[in-house]
Amino acid sequence: MSEAIVAVEGVSKRFAGRIALDSVSIDVAPGSITGMIGPNGSGKSTLFNIIAGTLRPDEGRVLIRGQNISASTAAEICGLGVARTFQISRLFAEMTVLENLVAVARGRDDRAAIALALELLEFLEISDIAERWGAGLSYGQRKLVEIARALMLQPKIMLLDEPFAGINPRLQNRIVEHLRTLCARGITVFFIDHEMRIVLSECDLVYVLAEGQLIARGDPQSVRNDAKVLQAYF
Amino acid sequence: MKGINPLAVASIAGVVALALPFVGSDYAVSFSIQLLIFLVLAYSWNWIGGYAGYTHFGQVGFFGVGAYVGSLLNFHWGVPWYLAAIVAAFAGAAIAVPLGGAMLRLKGPFFAIGMFGLARVLEAFALGFDSITGGGTGIYLRPVSDLRPLYYVVAAVAMVMLLLTWKLDNSRLGLKLLAIREDEDAAESLGIPTTRLKIGTFVASAVAPAAMGSLYAAYLGFIDPPTAFAPNMELTTIAMVLLGGMGTVLGPLVGALALSVVNEVLWANYPQIYLACVGAIVLLAVLFMPRGIVSFGMKSGWLGGGRPLFRRLAANAGRTPS
Amino acid sequence: MPVTELLISGILLGGVYALMACGLNLIFGVMRVINFAHGDILAIAALSTVSIVVGLKLPFWVAIVAVPIGCAALGALIHALILRRIEGAPMIMSLLATYALSTILVNVAILIWGGGYSGLPGVLGGSISVFGVNVSLSRLVSFACAIGVSLAVWWLLEFTRFGRAVRSVSAAPELASISGIAIEKVRLATFALGTGMAGFAGVLVAPAFAIDPQLGSRFIIKAFAVIIVGGMGSYPGAILAALLLGVIEVVGSYFVGAVIGSAFLFLLMLAVLLVRPRGLLGVGVRV
Repeated sequence: MSEAIVAVEGVSKRFAGRIALDSVSIDVAPGSITGMIGPNGSGKSTLFNIIAGTLRPDEGRVLIRGQNISASTAAEICGLGVARTFQISRLFAEMTVLENLVAVARGRDDRAAIALALELLEFLEISDIAERWGAGLSYGQRKLVEIARALMLQPKIMLLDEPFAGINPRLQNRIVEHLRTLCARGITVFFIDHEMRIVLSECDLVYVLAEGQLIARGDPQSVRNDAKVLQAYF
Repeated sequence: MKGINPLAVASIAGVVALALPFVGSDYAVSFSIQLLIFLVLAYSWNWIGGYAGYTHFGQVGFFGVGAYVGSLLNFHWGVPWYLAAIVAAFAGAAIAVPLGGAMLRLKGPFFAIGMFGLARVLEAFALGFDSITGGGTGIYLRPVSDLRPLYYVVAAVAMVMLLLTWKLDNSRLGLKLLAIREDEDAAESLGIPTTRLKIGTFVASAVAPAAMGSLYAAYLGFIDPPTAFAPNMELTTIAMVLLGGMGTVLGPLVGALALSVVNEVLWANYPQIYLACVGAIVLLAVLFMPRGIVSFGMKSGWLGGGRPLFRRLAANAGRTPS
Repeated sequence: MPVTELLISGILLGGVYALMACGLNLIFGVMRVINFAHGDILAIAALSTVSIVVGLKLPFWVAIVAVPIGCAALGALIHALILRRIEGAPMIMSLLATYALSTILVNVAILIWGGGYSGLPGVLGGSISVFGVNVSLSRLVSFACAIGVSLAVWWLLEFTRFGRAVRSVSAAPELASISGIAIEKVRLATFALGTGMAGFAGVLVAPAFAIDPQLGSRFIIKAFAVIIVGGMGSYPGAILAALLLGVIEVVGSYFVGAVIGSAFLFLLMLAVLLVRPRGLLGVGVRV
């Protein structure tokens, strides 16, 4: 079995005495689509933020591409080839979509940055909104721009925070198509979401959290029929 | 969408500035020196407050430090005003490096208040260490014989600041600063080196004010703590940028011109009413037009939306519908 | 070093700082607004007191009653016209607004009262001996009143229905509104209470200090230092820090002179901001 590109080992996290995560271990295989689901309060957002570097674990450690990032900042993790989107999109409001993308581009070459931005806009089929102000986009457009912006970093690992929440099925399917294409190019995709339909049909591997603990791990078929999962959700 | 080209405006302003000492009275030159100094202060503050989003009330601290450094050099060692200004600029940068490292760790209002307090402390030091600074009595300098060279130096600096701002606005560095302003945490998690950029911008925004402080002291022929560290100077600078447009190229210019009209009408005779009006202007801007005239124009479309460079490069790449 | 004398002097000074800082803290806690104009309200109150006692020749107690009420009314006006419109905006906006307001108030004050110093001699003359040190009666009374009012407001916050409403709005505005508390009214009342406290502090300051319209700018930075050291949002923290900083200022002034001594407070504030932003008793602030 190939080395996990993201490895979470026995991570625990408490908030003011309440246990958010209780010794959770997961691993993400390179080039795969991995999803994490769980009811509200299950701790999946907490774990996501720990992997992305905005929170630190109380116990345990997280390895990204073999490196221990438990004490790293979000920017340092970014340097390891990780890019993330936000659940509530955090686009830069007073800039156009194109500027949002170009702002995070790496390297010194302006033309290359703009070319990449235009390419990504075309890839996500939103070239027509390149000149639109960040603050004036629809919810679905914001999600797509978030993804484009993360892709500007040319990451090896994409972390997506509820990418399918609150958008219509047609757009959801479009995003799934894009994620599949990314995977085909060797990018690892890891996301958390509530949208069971997609998680249970598209992911290579699914993790289920409930009340801070990992209660199931496996391919979509086995998770769908897992007794503990059914109990947690229904 | 054709917008007003900042370079065109700058050229016109440059021609006017160049010609002024020949066609204007001594009073006009004197008044213009003050206006231009404020313009430089506004452009400097615009970098850290308007672009990076780190508004603060302590820029006058650098102004005052520059004023005293320049004045002391002139007073004790006869250093001519133009050299003194250069040393003052370095002094401003030198203290901004450690101060920036410390203060920029504070967020939002704490940074603003912290810088305000810092300026007051510097003023207190200027007042208290009177053996060095002359304390409340101040320092009297030999007056500059001809104000025209001073005027040209200040005008040149103002022009440079405008051009640098234009360059910043049309660069990825400018976008990175705006990203920090809009959402620093998101910017950081997307790999933008926020700390490095913040400190750099902070230091850059301290250099010109320090030089201006030195030049202002030379222009007045006198300096003392209330003059060097005047909070009113701070308020006026902020008012200009806020009213004109934070984080834009023409904003400080528009704001400075607008405020100088008010200044001209009120300051000489009714300084209190003038200051109260500046305060009222800031208040009204905060309530109704926090991004200023120029930004308002950009969003409404009559000023051209977005920064032109990227649009042009994108259009040249042949794939964006223009 | 005359320890007792400096200590007492510092504590007395701290009393006034406490009153001012508590009002400021209250406003911050409930409205997340940093009221830059707080000191200028104090200054205007002090100047008004002088006008009432010396100009209108009314007894001092009239000022004690009328001025804080007037300041509370001014606060209500400020809230209605300005602060209500920028609710929800980032804190820096309200800071800018109150900063501008501060300038307006100072200059209006200069227009009304002139830029020079005035004072209120002879209101509470004489001195009394405390722990072997001669202390001026007016300072002692002003300390007692300042601490008294500060504690009274604290009692108000902890034990009355209004106080509970205030604390709910401060801790969780969304929940407060759901449970039927009229948030707007609470905010208005809190701001008025805060400015009223500043007004009362101004009245107490008038007999004890030389006052001018710029007094506010000198006091505000000290008030900021107090609430930052004590912890923003912590009422008892403000009181403790005020007394502590009063002593530090007096001791510092003794050694290096008044001017630099007052700079000590700011340096302490900076140190706290950088090392322990929560302050002594603060609960941490989401900016």
